[in-house]
Amino acid sequence: MTNTMQVLIVEDEMLLAMDMEAMVEDSGHRVLAEAASLHDVEALPDDLNPQLAFVDIHLAHGSSGLDVCRYIRTHWPDALIVFVTANVSKIPADFSGAHGVIAKPFSHAGVVNAINYLANGVFAPPPSMPRPASLIPSPSLEGRWARTVA
Amino acid sequence: MKQRDDWHLTDVLDYEHGRGDPFAAAVRATRMPMVITDPARDDNPIVFCNVAFQELTGYSRDEILGRNCRFLQGPETDPATIDKVREAIRVGQAVDVDLLNYRKDGTTFWNALYLSPVRDNEGIVRFFFASQLDVSDRVEAQNIINDQKLLVEREVERRTADLRAALDAKTILLHEVDHRVKNNLTMIGSLLRLQVRTIDDPSVASKLDSMLERVDALAVVHRQLYQSSDIARFDIGSFAQSLVSDVVGSSGRSDITLDVKAQPLFVDAANASALGLILNEILTNAVKHAFTDGRSGHLSLVVEGGNDYGTIQICDDGPGMPSAARSKSIGTSLITRLARQARAEATWRNNMPGTCVTITFPQTEARS
Repeated sequence: MTNTMQVLIVEDEMLLAMDMEAMVEDSGHRVLAEAASLHDVEALPDDLNPQLAFVDIHLAHGSSGLDVCRYIRTHWPDALIVFVTANVSKIPADFSGAHGVIAKPFSHAGVVNAINYLANGVFAPPPSMPRPASLIPSPSLEGRWARTVA
Repeated sequence: MKQRDDWHLTDVLDYEHGRGDPFAAAVRATRMPMVITDPARDDNPIVFCNVAFQELTGYSRDEILGRNCRFLQGPETDPATIDKVREAIRVGQAVDVDLLNYRKDGTTFWNALYLSPVRDNEGIVRFFFASQLDVSDRVEAQNIINDQKLLVEREVERRTADLRAALDAKTILLHEVDHRVKNNLTMIGSLLRLQVRTIDDPSVASKLDSMLERVDALAVVHRQLYQSSDIARFDIGSFAQSLVSDVVGSSGRSDITLDVKAQPLFVDAANASALGLILNEILTNAVKHAFTDGRSGHLSLVVEGGNDYGTIQICDDGPGMPSAARSKSIGTSLITRLARQARAEATWRNNMPGTCVTITFPQTEARS
């Protein structure tokens, strides 16, 4: 299937990482790797090239999802970055360059719809389906797909 | 009469100078201490003082006359105030100050000094006239008030700091508890989802799925509550709108068309979970039973506000559900019981074809 996204999951709560992985794969996409901390992300091969990364803010060993976001942007600049966090208020106004946030506690429907919407945007930008309420977009998300169209 | 001509005021009396001069007599006899100094003489000495002045300062007339007023000053007298008096004398202006003065016996008193020049017809300052008033009580009272004010302010500051520290501690605790609630809700959902994947029996899996949807609905209610700035009210209208698109969207059913007429509608936050679960039951039931076996159809959601009551109506055009079957399902009993809890009412009617469910519930004013 050509419309399969390569997904990176950065989450230190193993149960949630497993759940996210199941939801991503049930939606027809592939989980490239899972990481629980900034250190884990830095240890990933440079040629990983994920198209989408779900990133928790509070990570293992006191590391921060905001730093992971910076790392992903320098190493895999094409990746869409979506924070998945209960600390929505800790995200800066510019989202540190990330593309959106899904607030915890998430619902199955909310995550699956967000994945479908993002895949729609990745393979046929801009997405034709309406954005689900569960995904709060950052200013750079609409800008990104507007540029792709132009 | 202009103020600068007021010296004429004393002309209206017909009087002689000397013993019969009523003004001189008044100055001599008044209970207000007064002195007159002569700036034409060396060091502007006192040339007249009345008995009240002698009584105030404790000096005899002989000890007073011929001396400059500064003999009343002492170590605690404020130099800046003395400068103010000195400057007024230099430029020939009146001055009004509170000055700490010393009596002959060394005790102090607060002297409300009023000093003014006496000019002759040519405008030359011939004398300075000074009246004194012992205002120690007033100044002491003011000092006590100032001291007490300072004490109270310090106490208020200390207690405010205590309260702020207590509030900070409670805020941290609240955030911690809030974070745990969110994480636990997320984990409960994840645990159920992981379990569902391992179940082969479709009827068990579907029951677990329903459970999962209820947990998810609670999670969405909680998320919307904590993301709102208003913790007392819950926007059931927006919740219903996002729930219906989530439920239909995640069902992967592109053959169900949606017609949503929603608006923000606020209810008491205490009823948020109950009303959220009711909506979840109605919507998931509609998707499962009205459009079963791949049957396509139409689902509508209408949110309407009234004066005191709001209504949410969810209609499908499916085959409808016999009321006997409906009364046996946990969903229906959940809806009825939760509605009672939230002071809401759920009614079913035949949509011909399909079913319409209307929930009526008490509405609260949106905070402006």
